Amino acid sequence: MENMKNETMAIELRKITKTFGSVVANNNIDLSVKQGEILALLGENGSGKTTLMNMLSGIYKPDHGTILMNGHTVTINSPEDSIKLGVGMIHQHFKLVEALSATDNIILGGTEKGIFLHKRRSEKIREISKRFGLEVDPEKKVYQMSVSEKQTVEILKVLYRKADILILDEPTAVLTPQETKRLFEILRRMKQEGCAVIIITHKLNEVLDISDRVTILRKGESVATVTTSHTSAKELTELMVGRPVELSINHPVTNFNENLLELHHLTVSNEQGYEMIKDISFDLNRGEILGVAGVAGSGQKELCEAIAGLLPVKKGAILYHNENLVGKSPKEIIKMGISMSFIPEDRLGMGLAASMGMVDNMLLKKYNEGNSPFVSKKEARELAKRLVKQLDIVTPNVDTPVRRLSGGNVQKVLLGREIASEPNVIITAYAVRGLDINSSYTIYDLLNEQKQKGVGILFIGEDLDVMLELCDRIMVLCHGKVTGIVDAKTTTKEQLGLLMTDALAGKEESHE
Amino acid sequence: MSNSEDKIKREPLLRVAKKAEISVSKTMGLTLLALALAIVAGGIFLLVIGQNPFKVYGTIVHGAWRSKLAIQGTIKIAIPLLIASLGITLAFQMKFWNIGAEGQIIMGGIFASYFALFFDQLPHTILLLIMFLAGMVGGGLWGLIPAYFKTKFGTNETLFTLMLNYIALYTIKFLTEGPWHDPESSGFPKIASFTPNARLDKIFGVHAGWLIGLILVLVVYIYIRFTKHGYEISVVGESVNTARYAGMNVKKIMMRTMFLSGAICGIAGMTQVSGAAYTLGEGVAGGVGFTAITVAWLSKLNPVVILIVTVLFSMLEKGCSVMQSAFGLSAATSGILQGIILFFVLAFDFFTRYRFILRKGRKA
Amino acid sequence: MFKKLLSMIVVATMVLSLAACGTKKEATTETTATETTATDAVATEAPAAEQTTKGIPMEDFKVGVIHIGDPADGAGYTFAHDQGIVAMQAALGLSDDQVIRKNNVNDTDAVAIRTAIEECIEEGADIIFGTSWGYMDTMEQLAAEYPDVVFSHASGYKSNGTNFNNYFGRIYQARYLAGIAAGMKTQSDMIGFVAAMGIDNSEVTGGINAFAMGVESVNPDAKVYVKVTNTWFDPTLEGQAAEALLDLGCDVIAQHADTTAPQMAAQNRGVWGCGYNSDMTKDAPSAHLTAPIWNWGVYYTMAAKAVLEGTWTGENYYGGMAEGLVDISPLSANCAEGTQEAIDAAKQKIIGGFKIFEGDLYDNQGNQVCKAGEFISDADITGAMNWYYKTVEVK
Repeated sequence: MENMKNETMAIELRKITKTFGSVVANNNIDLSVKQGEILALLGENGSGKTTLMNMLSGIYKPDHGTILMNGHTVTINSPEDSIKLGVGMIHQHFKLVEALSATDNIILGGTEKGIFLHKRRSEKIREISKRFGLEVDPEKKVYQMSVSEKQTVEILKVLYRKADILILDEPTAVLTPQETKRLFEILRRMKQEGCAVIIITHKLNEVLDISDRVTILRKGESVATVTTSHTSAKELTELMVGRPVELSINHPVTNFNENLLELHHLTVSNEQGYEMIKDISFDLNRGEILGVAGVAGSGQKELCEAIAGLLPVKKGAILYHNENLVGKSPKEIIKMGISMSFIPEDRLGMGLAASMGMVDNMLLKKYNEGNSPFVSKKEARELAKRLVKQLDIVTPNVDTPVRRLSGGNVQKVLLGREIASEPNVIITAYAVRGLDINSSYTIYDLLNEQKQKGVGILFIGEDLDVMLELCDRIMVLCHGKVTGIVDAKTTTKEQLGLLMTDALAGKEESHE
Repeated sequence: MSNSEDKIKREPLLRVAKKAEISVSKTMGLTLLALALAIVAGGIFLLVIGQNPFKVYGTIVHGAWRSKLAIQGTIKIAIPLLIASLGITLAFQMKFWNIGAEGQIIMGGIFASYFALFFDQLPHTILLLIMFLAGMVGGGLWGLIPAYFKTKFGTNETLFTLMLNYIALYTIKFLTEGPWHDPESSGFPKIASFTPNARLDKIFGVHAGWLIGLILVLVVYIYIRFTKHGYEISVVGESVNTARYAGMNVKKIMMRTMFLSGAICGIAGMTQVSGAAYTLGEGVAGGVGFTAITVAWLSKLNPVVILIVTVLFSMLEKGCSVMQSAFGLSAATSGILQGIILFFVLAFDFFTRYRFILRKGRKA
Repeated sequence: MFKKLLSMIVVATMVLSLAACGTKKEATTETTATETTATDAVATEAPAAEQTTKGIPMEDFKVGVIHIGDPADGAGYTFAHDQGIVAMQAALGLSDDQVIRKNNVNDTDAVAIRTAIEECIEEGADIIFGTSWGYMDTMEQLAAEYPDVVFSHASGYKSNGTNFNNYFGRIYQARYLAGIAAGMKTQSDMIGFVAAMGIDNSEVTGGINAFAMGVESVNPDAKVYVKVTNTWFDPTLEGQAAEALLDLGCDVIAQHADTTAPQMAAQNRGVWGCGYNSDMTKDAPSAHLTAPIWNWGVYYTMAAKAVLEGTWTGENYYGGMAEGLVDISPLSANCAEGTQEAIDAAKQKIIGGFKIFEGDLYDNQGNQVCKAGEFISDADITGAMNWYYKTVEVK
């Protein structure tokens, strides 16, 4: 850090602390970015990356510490202040008006003087797109755009507001490998133009690919800042996790050769009546992990819910041991041994009751057994205690509301319960979302264990690297259709990426 | 600081921040503090209007317990409040915002009154049993209607239950002036008094509603804590998605629970008409359905705590009423005093969850 | 924000309470006028029945009163009753804490009525007056539950002969006098009457008939037009009814309604009116002629004294002009010349035994309702006067 002293920092954070109740999200964090530099902010989920950046964009206020911009102390009270200071934040969830065009979204919320829109606005937008290599049709409506296009609009929006400090929160989570490449090119162009860029991520290869320096956060503290060219994935992981980690996932081989679940020409509409799953067919075998890859919102949620009986099926059949599940109630499907642990964005929205303890949550699918009008908690308590021991669940006691547990522990509770019910099929979505590396590996081990017992597992995932290692086959969904089912051993990330975009699907359609 | 740009605003004086979850003993402490503050603030108010706060507070507490009759009076106020709060608890546990207890009490009262007015030749026990069931059905149906529409068409239960209150109230008005009008009342709009046969018996000087209330405390407690139905209610209240995922029939649970919630409120209506009023009038619910929301909420939906809070509320109401006539204060004055006390106690709820941060002096 | 809110509450309460204090003071100062007449009237009253209960020591004696409104209103029904209570208190020399008032007790809410009365009992009330019709059933029930307490109910028809009676007065006598004032004033010979209740209510109907007969006694050509509001208390509806009558061409507006709204309406049109319950000359100085008024103090003093001295009998009370219970307010300067003389003469006649509802009477359908030489019984006057006098027309 010594040699940086004479250069002016675009942003410098000194001893920033932020607490939420008793949780210390950020503790005395130092961080700095130069103009024309890309800084990667690396850390596991819950390490405080997003909180830190939200303080720069005016969403939160630090409890202690100073923020300097171009050498001056600043106070950021609101997102408006932050924009005025030239900070542009690209959030994980886009904040765009679907019904408006790219141009309208970009000028929305502008603070230019006068009551009329500036005539030259389109020109200005075109000029910016050209300068940074951002390709987007200014008249296209947002709802017609792909995820990557939306992200481009977001970036244009902040640049239009003259931001020279750009913060991107997990920008690649929703992109295919190809789209990620394109984004990185844009970021490099911005760097050349003298912008300061902070990219939040937990994917090591991306960090190594794009950044100049890396600041690593662990449990709310900045543990190190290293120059990218002098480091390696192994070192970064150790810094992030705090100890050496074995980075390979087991892949046990089984040979059951028995068909468990067959889906034939399944079409499912969501609650709003849109067809989210369009005529898909596949099968799941015993002792197999079938991965489901795809850009978020490609129909993963609907597929899970349809199998579990939560969404009505419009067309097609779901055969389980040659018995059709279509038309059966969730209760009946549970009884047949199909277990679903679907983990949506907030993890506690489905599958667990947040303010209940582990014991009550163990009862969720079994409370109705027996004829007594009363709930019997004895077995549930024993099960809860057993799981705490087996899976090293950290909880004050088995009656503590599960929302007080950390993400990894919540995940263990959920998966532990499903496994304890000895299912034949496990459907799991985003099983490791938000978990630290250690917990993730525990979950992978648990799934592999079930696989060896002959359970069929439908693994809906996000991280293609993980899926390639863990799964036996990978099915790719795109806009509710299956664009391919490939063997995990022989396929590549790039190939999956192509399947995930509609490039291939579009070709197929034109053939028909 | 000197070179900070003018476009940067100053930090606001006060900010609100979320607190960590606090312990039970701390909550208790805060509650007591809130009560103390309430008493001090009320005292200042009393001083301002020229009353001796010690005397007035003394009268309020003493007024609620000073004699057998006074205790009976306090208990009579408590009965409908207790029963209605228990009813609301079931719905609230499910996060179904039933603010229609008022209407459910009224409908319970109307259904029970029908049998009291037109079948009073039945044997006493049977008649009262029928009235009890009729009250449950009346209140229950009034609870079922919004639940049905919510599950079927996704209507907003808050508005729906609120509107049903008015329909219930005007139904009484209609009955009073029309079909059930007391022919002996020479034009005065009222319904005839029940014959002694249709009146609820007294136990220890107070109508049996208190015993029904106490039994209901136990029943509701067990129902919520230990039965499968209670478990379902809690899960649905937690997350409808989780409930569906667990294979629960959410619509059925919602309708069943709202029927029971309304039915319990209907019991309150039945005990009011047959135990307290001996007739059906517009005042049968008298705002109890709304006070019950406060009671249920303050008690964190715990039936046992509801019992305690109800007694405290009734004491306050009874004591304030005595205070009014003892000191010649207007109804508005006593209303203000009650308001001040409630304001503090409810505000404490906010302070258990949030804290204020004052602007710090900025150092360069 | 918190502090601001609190201070706002405190300020609001101060303002409110000061307002309340103000009106209360006014009420007490105004009382003195009626007090003297009330006590005089009582002095001549002799308790007619034998002693049934023992007396109560003066210092233990307490009186409860249940009001439908608030005496602080300053006019109208509750105010008139409370003036009577104040007169009784002065006449018997009771201290303030010997009188327990329960105000604003809704007479359609049986629970509220019961609570209020039971609180009076708790405080040790020996006699409880209930001033509104709707208290009747609850008072009857409580009389059975508390045999040691006397319950006295105004305007109803139930009683039990021991500790529950009803009391009311021959207000129709005062209305007859008011009718004279109206009949002498009218120029259009059209007189309006805002009535709270329709033909089924004997109290209202009898009052209208007596009023019409008073009008007829001085002005045989004048007709009385009735408009019914179906409510005892509603300023808006009462005002609207008066407007409707004024539109018909009426130039005197009489009323059996609780508020001053009809008198205000008359004043706005530059015509005249007869109020009710209290002297409304102060409310409509350029319109008001005179109002039938109650001196409830006459009864309250008598009844409370009987309980205090142990001479209570449980008889119903139906007082009139002779007892001083009903009267008209002093004639205003708006009255026609000679009104005072005509009214004085009629008053003497009534005190001397003129029953008003006597002789050859016809209703407005042409039916004979009373034959020459006969009179209508009190029972019929209070309970069965369901016809309008021949000069009355309902609009």
